[in-house]
Amino acid sequence: MTVLDLVGLSFGALKERRLRSGLTVLMVIIGVALMTSINGLGGGMNNYVTEQLGTLGANVLIITPSASGFGAEGQGPGAQSGMQTKLTSQSVRTIERIHGIKYAVPYFSSSATLKSGGLTTTAAIQGIDQSKLVYITPKIGLESGSFVSTGDSSGMVLGYSVAHPSNLDYPFAKTGQTVFVEFSKVETEGGIEKVVTKRKAFQVRGTLSELGNSQVDSVVFMSLAAANALFEKSGSYDGIYGITSSPDDNDRVEASITKFYGTNIGVTSPKSMVSTIQELLGTFIGFLSSIALVSMFVGAVGIITTLYTSVMERTREIGLLKAIGYARETVLFMFLTESFAMGLLGGFLGLVFGIGGAYFLLELMPFGGPGTMSITPSFLPNDLSQVFLLACALSVVAGLYPAWRASTLSPIMALKKE
Amino acid sequence: MRGDGSAIETIDLKKTYRMGLVKVPALRGVNLKVGHGEMISVVGPSGSGKSTLLNMLGALDTPTSGRILVDGVDISRMGERALARFRNRKVGFIFQSYNLIDRSKVTKNVELPAIVAGMPKNTRDKRVYELLDLVGLGDKADRRPNVLSGGEQQRVAIARALINDPAFILADEPTGNLDSKTGEEIQNLLLRVNQEKNATIVVVTHNVELAERTGRILHLRDGVVEKESVGLLSQGQVRDSGWDVMTDWRN
Repeated sequence: MTVLDLVGLSFGALKERRLRSGLTVLMVIIGVALMTSINGLGGGMNNYVTEQLGTLGANVLIITPSASGFGAEGQGPGAQSGMQTKLTSQSVRTIERIHGIKYAVPYFSSSATLKSGGLTTTAAIQGIDQSKLVYITPKIGLESGSFVSTGDSSGMVLGYSVAHPSNLDYPFAKTGQTVFVEFSKVETEGGIEKVVTKRKAFQVRGTLSELGNSQVDSVVFMSLAAANALFEKSGSYDGIYGITSSPDDNDRVEASITKFYGTNIGVTSPKSMVSTIQELLGTFIGFLSSIALVSMFVGAVGIITTLYTSVMERTREIGLLKAIGYARETVLFMFLTESFAMGLLGGFLGLVFGIGGAYFLLELMPFGGPGTMSITPSFLPNDLSQVFLLACALSVVAGLYPAWRASTLSPIMALKKE
Repeated sequence: MRGDGSAIETIDLKKTYRMGLVKVPALRGVNLKVGHGEMISVVGPSGSGKSTLLNMLGALDTPTSGRILVDGVDISRMGERALARFRNRKVGFIFQSYNLIDRSKVTKNVELPAIVAGMPKNTRDKRVYELLDLVGLGDKADRRPNVLSGGEQQRVAIARALINDPAFILADEPTGNLDSKTGEEIQNLLLRVNQEKNATIVVVTHNVELAERTGRILHLRDGVVEKESVGLLSQGQVRDSGWDVMTDWRN
């Protein structure tokens, strides 16, 4: 008996029970597709995180005031118990003096509405010494114009996706054009809260070339002084980029800063952020994968049920096959071929639907728009083949019991079954 | 252990079934010999052990005690795989209810035993059509069994039984589900197979006419052979013709 004969007999049996076989294959497809989509999305998110934070220099530490302010039990000499530490020019000088720090680059950041030529957009605005940007984002470059000098209080540089919104065929603003920045804040006057909007005209000094990092591409840069005045920061920085002499110094510098400021200050490095986010992502994706795995097991249970029912219905047929000389192992392989065929077909279609499903799920997610996260699912051949092989292996394991039952049926008893 | 040259020989064959704690004897010591090319019928009331005897001869069931020698070889001591091979190569089964697979075409049903025997596809196809022509179903090769009449379905089953050119044909009530005219056609077909193919045939039947047309009639009662009588075939009173001698594909 050739493999082709075996496959022919098994497919004939599956075709006879089209609906039931089809529904079972669908169960396998769902499990495999779910697993494939989740793996693809997880891989895509991982790549995104690595890509986004990877554009920042490896020797960059981001120093921010402690977000909470509570629990700020300073342990170092500069710690102020119970109060949120402000980052001022004094802090910059202090950090610059730490051994291993090359530059301390302070920044102000906020979001504001930009208006130009009848177009309106919202963007993140960062006030920073732009001569130091190259240390923070080594790949940064100008598409046109120039950076804003330190003393320029009315110039701005537009990030690529601000200058070229994906929903427009023409630029939002070009170098030399005027852009109005509107910043709103709530003020209390005589116990009454009211929204005050500040409006200031800026001139576009330059536009940045595309980096592929939405954090940088969607930012508008201006001078420190301009941002300080516009957002009324009173010299209290939103953060300081600590550029170390070498990435190897990061941990030591971080320890020094923490020792000095205690827990009143937050120090993160892109490297540790990547690993933290990847760790979180890994846990989340792992959780989703375990659900998908359960779904794959449910598919396998579907195969057991379908095949077992088939054995019960085809008892006389099995009796006949044994009577005309089909050995126990031949009958076993016939039924295993049926379950394997369901796993094979379900596995293959599951991969196809899983790849399509990942892109479909991305469409449903609340990101992916212009200037926001753009995740591309990542399907590694190794992951795909593992899921496919798992589906095939599960189908064979699922087929073992029904196939064994079929193979051990007594021909006499089987032929007598009504 | 070798026998005395009989095609089939049973020695003190006993079979007892267990129904819970109760032992039900189906065969109580059957001794019979069937010569090569002989066609015998086994008759008897229901529960006399006819089908049990046939199942033993066809290696579908194993005896509780006693021996079954087929061509001198004791099949009651064979392993499962050897028995499957024996059933495939040596025996052709014909059942009362045909036992055809409705989802498969007539051709597929006929070739089933040849597939597991490893017969090459082209030889198999040639032989299937030869046999279907022989049983008069050459024009219905691509039909499904469920659209055929009872007689036609039994012809398909006979073609299936012959595909591996077996030495023995074991038929269990082959005309039991057929009207008398169709039953007679099937009788003629079996007689032709016996006479012109020289196949040893054992038929279990309630059909007196069919039993009388065989060479020897075994009367079974309560699991023992009560008597034997001579059929018309042995008296030279049954003839049929038109059998195309088939070549043995294994040669």
